[in-house]
Amino acid sequence: MIKTNNLMKKFRTDEVETTALNNVNLEINEGEFVAIMGPSGCGKSTLLNILGLLDNPTSGELFFNDSQVHGYNERQRTNLRKENIGFVFQSFNLIEELTVYENVELPLLYMKVSSSERKKRVNEALDRMKITHRAKHFPQQLSGGQQQRAAIARAVITNPKLILADEPTGNLDSANGEEVMNLLTQLNETGTTIVMVTHSPSDADRSHRIIQLFDGHIVTENMRQKL
Amino acid sequence: MLKIFLNTVFRKLYLQKGYSLINILGLATGITCSLLILLWVEYELSYDSFHENKNQIYSVYENQTYADGETFTTYSTPAPLAPKIKADISEIDKATRVTSTWGKLILTTEGSPYVEDAGLCVDTDFFKMFSFQLLYGDPNLMMPDDSSIVITEKISKKYFGENNPIGKTISINSTLNYQVSAVLKDSPKNSSFYFDFLLPFNFIKENWGFNLKNWDSHAFRTFILVKKKTYIPNLETTIKPYIKQSLENSNADLALQPFTDYHLHNISGKKLSPILYVRIFALVAFIILLIACFNYMNLSTARSERRAKEVAVRKVVGAHKRGLFALFMAESVFISLLAFGLAIVMVELLLPFFNELTQRDLSLRFSNPTLLLSFASIVLFTGFISGSYPALYLSSFKPIRILKGKLYRDSYLFRKLMVITQFTISIGLIICSSVIYRQLDYLQDKDIGYQKDNIIYIEMMDNSQENFSQLKDNLIKIPGVLKVTAADQMPINFSNSTPDVSWQGKLEETDNTLFQFSFVDSDFIETFEMEVIHGRAFSSDQNADSLKLIINEAAAAAMKMSYTIGQKIKILDYDCEVIGIVKDFNFNSLQIGVKPLIMLLTSDEFKYIAIRTDGDEQPIINKISETWKVHYPEIPFSHRLLRDDFSYLYKAETRLNSVFISFTLIAIIISSLGLFGLSSYIIEQKYKEMGIRKVFGAEFHHLFKSFLIRFLRWILFANLIAWPIAYYLMQWWLAGFAYRIHISAFEFIGAGLLSMIIAFITVFYQSYKISSITPLKSIRYE
Repeated sequence: MIKTNNLMKKFRTDEVETTALNNVNLEINEGEFVAIMGPSGCGKSTLLNILGLLDNPTSGELFFNDSQVHGYNERQRTNLRKENIGFVFQSFNLIEELTVYENVELPLLYMKVSSSERKKRVNEALDRMKITHRAKHFPQQLSGGQQQRAAIARAVITNPKLILADEPTGNLDSANGEEVMNLLTQLNETGTTIVMVTHSPSDADRSHRIIQLFDGHIVTENMRQKL
Repeated sequence: MLKIFLNTVFRKLYLQKGYSLINILGLATGITCSLLILLWVEYELSYDSFHENKNQIYSVYENQTYADGETFTTYSTPAPLAPKIKADISEIDKATRVTSTWGKLILTTEGSPYVEDAGLCVDTDFFKMFSFQLLYGDPNLMMPDDSSIVITEKISKKYFGENNPIGKTISINSTLNYQVSAVLKDSPKNSSFYFDFLLPFNFIKENWGFNLKNWDSHAFRTFILVKKKTYIPNLETTIKPYIKQSLENSNADLALQPFTDYHLHNISGKKLSPILYVRIFALVAFIILLIACFNYMNLSTARSERRAKEVAVRKVVGAHKRGLFALFMAESVFISLLAFGLAIVMVELLLPFFNELTQRDLSLRFSNPTLLLSFASIVLFTGFISGSYPALYLSSFKPIRILKGKLYRDSYLFRKLMVITQFTISIGLIICSSVIYRQLDYLQDKDIGYQKDNIIYIEMMDNSQENFSQLKDNLIKIPGVLKVTAADQMPINFSNSTPDVSWQGKLEETDNTLFQFSFVDSDFIETFEMEVIHGRAFSSDQNADSLKLIINEAAAAAMKMSYTIGQKIKILDYDCEVIGIVKDFNFNSLQIGVKPLIMLLTSDEFKYIAIRTDGDEQPIINKISETWKVHYPEIPFSHRLLRDDFSYLYKAETRLNSVFISFTLIAIIISSLGLFGLSSYIIEQKYKEMGIRKVFGAEFHHLFKSFLIRFLRWILFANLIAWPIAYYLMQWWLAGFAYRIHISAFEFIGAGLLSMIIAFITVFYQSYKISSITPLKSIRYE
């Protein structure tokens, strides 16, 4: 599903050039659950953002479903993203001015889904994440776990083939973290590919494969036994 | 401490150059505007304030009541009034009559003659009542007798150079001789009396043969100086019937107006008085300053998140809310001081244009304590008003929240309201300026019922009348001259009026309708292309039509005659016959409707020659000048264009309009800065949200459209508030004109569109910028 060839990412300020990713080559197959681990600043999130077409590599190639996508323009990237990729962030990134319902509905609005269809799908997603009773609340009125469930509902509302999760349990206590991981695992079991950046070994244990990054390099790739 | 404060402020200003520039420029523009208006208002209010006795001087005016219930209010009073009331009423200490010289005069000394028209005839009390500065002469013997003339410095220099002219002789119209008894400084520009020389009141009798004992002719202004502690309502009651006591059947009551009101207040009670315009402008100045302050608030709070950390750190290391509040206030007062400095420079640069616009001689006088006080008030007002909200808002931040990275989000309702208010004002001003503009345009272009274009007219001296028919014969020969006529007044300012008109069927007891009248020659109607709707115009045979007259429709209506031709009418002891009726035409400012008018054919009594040309004026004027010199080699030629005089009628309104348009522009600029400030604020607040939306599929056009709609919605709202207010105000203003336009939807839709376009341009860049952000940057933004 995803393939990278010699992916490089450099950040430049006036005086310093930092290499965030250095010749990263990886392949992720459809239906896989991949965890990316490594110390702070090793390039995990940068990699995830490039895979999610939120950021451009400095050099190297990126393929999505065999299409070469690293040269896509903004519009093509947006289209690819909204049809194929869902995002889950550590800090949830819910829009504070919108209710939970509206937050979840957001991607459908940009896909020009009809109002009745939207209603149906949002209600299903909320139901699946068990936050239907919170639909009319604003994010700040919810607990962290509920907020992340809302964020996952938003990520899955378009039935994406790929979910990119950046430390999805990082802001949650262990019980809520466990619940979020259960949801992601269930999604994976129904066929959604998941790439997750995490610090937590126990979360990584849920994945099929762990990619260890260090200073922008992939140092190890451990295939794990499917649980 | 001060050094640290100044250092910090300057560093902040420097670090946020663009923002500082907008902020200071916005404030400076607002202050500049208010300063200019303040100078103008102060100038208008200062009129006549240099007279030491100003609070004891009153102008005596007449309320004349007519059959139709209409009251005619006038400063014109009979000549015997002043001496009579001064002798009779003990509260009146001094009294003077004031009148013009009733036409241009030729003044001659040893040198060449000059034509002068800025003379006044006054009684000797004039000098004891009013405080015009004396340069040469005895203050107690300013005008010792009826052969004295008091001149100003300007005339003194013109006729006598640098010499002391006391005792020198000036001859007037080569017939009367006057000795210079005093030289005054030129009358200040803020004086209601403007004169180059003062003649004894008796001049009116000596030069014009006018009977100064006549109570029947109301032609002079009367001013009195009352004794201290006089109870004015009582004095007014005493003075009220004075004309009626001396003149049977008079319809005039007297009343008093404080001299301090003379320049700005109408005695007629007409609402469009100069004081109204002064008040409107003072209000506009205040509003502009206020919207400039709104801007500062808007822009400062828009940047508040950048300052949040500073607040938090200061609080953590021990600053109190009160101290922070004081710090932010000090900052804004300091910035308003900077803006004020800039404004002073801008005022100095703009004053020449502003003086041109207002026809005033304004200057920044730092020696004037009232102005200095006002300046200080402006700085403090601006500083405090603009600093208050940001200071309150910023100083209330909770440090722990900020340091944890939580952003402050308020509903920005207050700021939204400010921007809507700013735009409401701007839109209102746009509508008002366009209505005022259209109304003035309408007045200038209205078919006033006679030809005002291509008319050149010359004021004649008294001795030129003998030569009139010869002159006329020669003028008509000039190529391009189509018609020549003469009259005692030009139709632009028919001002002679009398109720002394009789006709068959008049109810003598009750009908005292006031008729305007004018003495004209036989070509008058044709020269001005007035339309005769009944009967005929005067024939060219002056003698055949002797004592014939032509009236206007309003006069025919006032006489209640269905068919008036051939009617005998007695006016001012002349027995005349009506030979024609002309269509009503406007002979006053169009603020006033058409009054009944009688035009009487005569062969003398003329003061003006009017010449209608084919349009190519300058060569014709040169020819007229040559012809004039042949006839009157000793009288310098001067002419006027009727069209110019017509524009002059609406000078106050035209000036109002220019000033209004300028301030409208400034209000628009300031409001746009306000909208820019608020849009920057919102966009800064929405930065992350836009990133999230982009991650989840929003494209440029989604975001761009939603921002534009959001901002333009406010402007639409501002339009909805501004429209009815502007409509009401303009209806009220227009009601002051007898002839007026109808306010059209165009003004409102136009202002609406214009405001939308301005707002669009203002928010375009910001909306464009935020709509094209890369999502990654913004979601990282915390």
